[in-house]
Amino acid sequence: MLHHTLDTPQDPARVVVLGARGFIGAALVEALTAAGTPVLAPGSNELDLGAADAADRLAGMLRPDDSLVVLAALTPDKGRDIATLMRNLRMGEAVCGAVGRVPVAHVIYMSSDAVYPFTTGRITEETPAACTDLYGVMHRTREIMFESAVKGPLAILRSTLVYGAADTHNSYGANRFRRLALKDGKITLGGGGEETRDHLFVDDAVAVLTALLRRRTAGLANLATGRSVTFDELARMVAAQCTPPAEVIHTARTSPVTHRHFDVTALHKAFPEFRFTPLEEGIARVHRQVTEQAGQG
Amino acid sequence: MSLPVIGFAGMTHLGLNSAVGSAAKGFEVVCFDPSEGLAADLAAGRLPVLEPQLAELRAEHADRLRFTADVRDLARCDVVYVAPDVPTDDRGGSDLGPLTALLDRVDAALGERTVRVVLSQVPPGFTRARVRPGVPLYYQVETLIFGRAIERVMHPERYIVGCEDPATPLPDAYAAYLGAFGCPILPMRYESAELAKISINCCLVASISVANTLGELCERIGADWSEIAPALKLDRRIGPYSYLSPGLGISGGNLERDLATVCRLADAAGTDAGVVRAWIDNSRHRKDWPLAELHRVVLPVIARPRIALWGLTYKEDTHSTKNSPALAFLDAVRPFPVRAFDPAIGPQAEWHPDLTAAADPVDACRGADVLAILTPWAEFRRQSPAAVAEALAGRVVIDPYRVLDPAACRAAGLTHLTLGAPA
Repeated sequence: MLHHTLDTPQDPARVVVLGARGFIGAALVEALTAAGTPVLAPGSNELDLGAADAADRLAGMLRPDDSLVVLAALTPDKGRDIATLMRNLRMGEAVCGAVGRVPVAHVIYMSSDAVYPFTTGRITEETPAACTDLYGVMHRTREIMFESAVKGPLAILRSTLVYGAADTHNSYGANRFRRLALKDGKITLGGGGEETRDHLFVDDAVAVLTALLRRRTAGLANLATGRSVTFDELARMVAAQCTPPAEVIHTARTSPVTHRHFDVTALHKAFPEFRFTPLEEGIARVHRQVTEQAGQG
Repeated sequence: MSLPVIGFAGMTHLGLNSAVGSAAKGFEVVCFDPSEGLAADLAAGRLPVLEPQLAELRAEHADRLRFTADVRDLARCDVVYVAPDVPTDDRGGSDLGPLTALLDRVDAALGERTVRVVLSQVPPGFTRARVRPGVPLYYQVETLIFGRAIERVMHPERYIVGCEDPATPLPDAYAAYLGAFGCPILPMRYESAELAKISINCCLVASISVANTLGELCERIGADWSEIAPALKLDRRIGPYSYLSPGLGISGGNLERDLATVCRLADAAGTDAGVVRAWIDNSRHRKDWPLAELHRVVLPVIARPRIALWGLTYKEDTHSTKNSPALAFLDAVRPFPVRAFDPAIGPQAEWHPDLTAAADPVDACRGADVLAILTPWAEFRRQSPAAVAEALAGRVVIDPYRVLDPAACRAAGLTHLTLGAPA
């Protein structure tokens, strides 16, 4: 459940974005800058969160009236092993050490739906976070680290799959399907693509983050649209954007079918006027952006 | 033997309805409440609660009803019920402080042979802890239903009586009073009676949870729960009076309190209460159904809808708004203007920043983009979907309880959204 520290929206004095070179971070910095919000987005040359002095360096950058958005993490495409887990935890330790020394006005930690198991199809914020892999363990541990270290308003968002033109992770979903469709003219699914998932447009992720910043919102929420579709439906949406339409290919199933539907009531209650971009519209917009950038038309 | 004189202490919903029902059954009744103002109001016929038949019966049997703020007036009673409503908090916890204080006060005013009966709902263990040698003390299960309180008092299905020793016959006066209602009397140990009340409510919640769980599935897979429920009620193992109508979760406070009590007792005793917690989760989930439908159907089309709201109380035929789905809905649509009508109560400013009162149901609809019917008052069932359609600017009716006829709504061009059926 989320609650607003500020009764009326207010521009943050400054937003410090950790992970500003990443997919969501870059989009957030761009949106904040366009809105005239002061942003500090240290690159890895200025701040290596894995370095021994990272907490000191970050503390030296922070101001008490800052809002801090923590997006920095080594994602599964960078490694799923114990070493990656420990590096991620050291990054979390550094950030927590810094905000322990220089408390800031607001902290947002971007977690992941990887903290949830696949034992139930419907997910709410009350669903027990019973992680089944090291990536989920990493996010859950960092959530608890932040809850322990942050004394002021702290928001934790557990994000579903995010799609957008600038994605760098290429995980199974809209982004990979688009690349496959454009490159090979076909999208190959695991099994019949029966699994249902919720897919979030990166612009919507940025809009929610911005809304949280403006109300200095605290609490826990799942960051998802509330609408799930099968991978097959998603693949066909992506395929239909291509000319000619890409082929969707089913394969023999090698893993059990799992489903995930998010109850987004907490977001609805916190931000009644917020609208998510319909999936069909988001997919079409991303395709236009990508093809325009590539000059393919 | 002349009829015993019956006393009731605590003139809130339970005590007042029980007292008036007893007078209507022919007993002389002394009604005590520590509040002089309340006692005076009741004596003058100014009733603080709404219940069918309550005002009429109070007036008809006024000669057998004495309302007093002097506890000593209870001394001439043969049987005294202590029956204040027990307040509950948002987490289902009971505040037993006012009941205990009233019990102490009444106890001190009565002779040792006067029968004391705790009628308020108490957790297992409460009554035995108050036993004093030689002083007759009983716990009687109340099964009051808001909106049907007088009916339940006058025509009970059975009496469940918690006793220190169920093998000992009930005192004559108490037995004579209960016997007048012509239903089975089931004496049992205190703890059994206290848990029997909770058990009844758990059975009700289990049925409601079945209806809500499968009704939601109906909404997604093309089935209609209104077609299924009558078939279930013809099954003797389920029964014609079973609670199988989908709803917006449990409300009112009492059922929530019992579920919280079971969880607390089970946790302390190390027994499994997982299913009870699942009922609580399901209730919470379904309470947000109107909000989910608003976001699913209306808000993608209209950014700032004007909302018409029928019903504010947690159910029909009551003034109570405890855990009301309507109030939960109002809190979640604070940016949007709402025009509301309820037959019993008016809107309050603290519920919503832009909430206005309508003169009648159709008036609430004028110019609105969507109608939400969140309390199934009988008055609402008499409204014409055609008149609603004419008054509304939009087409969507969120009607969880199927107050309006779905076919008539469709004929009037409305999009009728209801629990347990596909849109």
